[in-house]
Amino acid sequence: MIVREASRFASDFFIEKDGYEINGKSIIGVMTLAAEQGAELVLLFEGDDEVAAADAIAALFEEGFGEVK
Amino acid sequence: MKQETVLTGIPISPGFAIGKAYSYSGYTYEIDDSSLDTDSVDAELDRFEEAIVRSERDLRKIITVAREKLGDESADIFDAQLLMLRDPSLYDAVREIVQTDMRRADYVVDHVINGLATRMEASKSEYLKDRASDFHDVRDRIVRHLRRDKLLSAVRHGSIIVAENLTAADIVLFSRRDIIGAAIDFGGATSHVAIMARALRVPSVFGLHGGAARIESGTRIVVDGVKGRLIVNPTQETVDRYKKLRKRYDQLIDERQQFVSLPSETIDGRKVTLRANFEFREELDLIRENGADGIGLFRTEVMHLMQGRMSISEDEQFRTYKHVVETLEDQITTIRVLDLGGDKLLPMAHREHNPFLGWRGIRVLLDKPEILEPHLRAILRASAFGPVRILVPMVSDTSELEEFLQVLDRQKALLRKRGIAFSDSIPVGTMIEVPAAALMAGAISDMVDFVSIGSNDLTQYVLAVDRGNDLVAEKYQELHPAVLKLIKLTIDEAHNAGISASLCGEMGAESRNLPILVGLGIDEISASPTFIPELKRFVRAIDSRDARQLAESVLQAKNTVEVNTVLEEWLTEHPFDLAHLLEADELSAPTD
Repeated sequence: MIVREASRFASDFFIEKDGYEINGKSIIGVMTLAAEQGAELVLLFEGDDEVAAADAIAALFEEGFGEVK
Repeated sequence: MKQETVLTGIPISPGFAIGKAYSYSGYTYEIDDSSLDTDSVDAELDRFEEAIVRSERDLRKIITVAREKLGDESADIFDAQLLMLRDPSLYDAVREIVQTDMRRADYVVDHVINGLATRMEASKSEYLKDRASDFHDVRDRIVRHLRRDKLLSAVRHGSIIVAENLTAADIVLFSRRDIIGAAIDFGGATSHVAIMARALRVPSVFGLHGGAARIESGTRIVVDGVKGRLIVNPTQETVDRYKKLRKRYDQLIDERQQFVSLPSETIDGRKVTLRANFEFREELDLIRENGADGIGLFRTEVMHLMQGRMSISEDEQFRTYKHVVETLEDQITTIRVLDLGGDKLLPMAHREHNPFLGWRGIRVLLDKPEILEPHLRAILRASAFGPVRILVPMVSDTSELEEFLQVLDRQKALLRKRGIAFSDSIPVGTMIEVPAAALMAGAISDMVDFVSIGSNDLTQYVLAVDRGNDLVAEKYQELHPAVLKLIKLTIDEAHNAGISASLCGEMGAESRNLPILVGLGIDEISASPTFIPELKRFVRAIDSRDARQLAESVLQAKNTVEVNTVLEEWLTEHPFDLAHLLEADELSAPTD
């Protein structure tokens, strides 16, 4: 879900957790990051549409991805 | 001893197969870790690309089916797998290692994905741990495509193929290796691979929803292509039972070959003409082989949809129709004019909220003379080479028919002026698939030369049930008394007008329904060619007077359950259809 949403934007998107940084547009990256609920993540956006991208992804997090896993 | 399990799916191709499974999905390959020459690196990257493209094609097809049949959650899993294929952590990583380490793509894919899966398995979250299996599925799919040729040739003669999905081409290749059956998770009765399975007479069960892909090579299984069952680890008792069924089935098949050349009429001499539904080129030879009396429904959309364009020239269409008409010689070819819309997407990227109640069939054609006119001229020109009938889809009102007949007359006049040959007396018929058309069958019958009941659409319109929607699929009942009453009305009105009534649709292909249709007075049934011998054998076993009694009593039924009860009773007393014949044999067989 994050990956699909992030891929709509031109900006680069990285997720950082415990010092690891992965490409937020890579489904394998996101899966192997093994982000469990409650884990602390840092989201980095870089590019022309970074604000729009950040808003869209933040909204996803707030909505709980429509389901909680 | 492992326990016997019975899985239920869709019966696709009749017959029984008892043997060992060959898994076309499982992780059954050995990895070759030899290195590559510098020269062959590019070729290896091409091979990898090809495997990725094939995997993407697979998954797209699976996603469509899964979304329809299994719901969004299952489809999302495959959607995620599709995204993985081109993910940099996989795709770029594999390409890089192939280039730098000069290893074979199979080895690298295995290595890279196993590494990723191990990380998933190490997760504390159960949900993420389970996702490791997605990585394994993706790995198996890519490696399977990398090693497609080897996998195909590794099949032992006499195996039963179990797979998540097969293409029509796969099943042709497998059949050359003498496989005796197939069990597949995806694919419905009308898929191309199903048509090929029937054509090649490979007993098959599809729609096993994950059950088939889990079976390992070498497992003993039984495919029951009559009832749509797959039995895993059968007991000796089950094997013996199926051996008897198989023997009896083979006998019945041999016996019915003699029917191919015999007329299709009941014991008391009532004629029930059996014609073929025709869509794919591959089916053309099957029409005569199976003793069908020409074509009752030539679906012309496929040619247009396959080419992905609407503007197929008059000449191009004419050549296709002429070829079919000439092949059938003196037998009738019934060409249904383009039935676009509904589930057959319009290439004009037309989207509607309610496509089945929208712009489809005759409604599209009357609005698009640039499509209809050359289409009709192509059909008319083909009629100079053999008997052709025209069938008009989705008519709901006589005014549409009137307008259509005027267009047809103008095309005839045009051809006449150009001095091009055609049959002036070409019969025109109407599909009866909209309830309004069934209720007005009298007025419609006065305007045409025959009517053909489209039972699939008629059922869904009468019951207001979308048959593609899983939530209501069980309410889609062809034997609902409301459907039967409209069929009865249509047939009676056609007969009053002195014209014939035929039926095309899945309802006619299932021999179990035959006695009801015969009893209601149907003149013609059109079904997929491989169903014809079975239908003919059954027609020749029925007395139409018994069938009429059956029809009268099912028309009294209050709901589908009652219809089925009455029908089952009748079939037990008159066990002529395949399933009941086999069952009756089983009951009367001495127990040992």
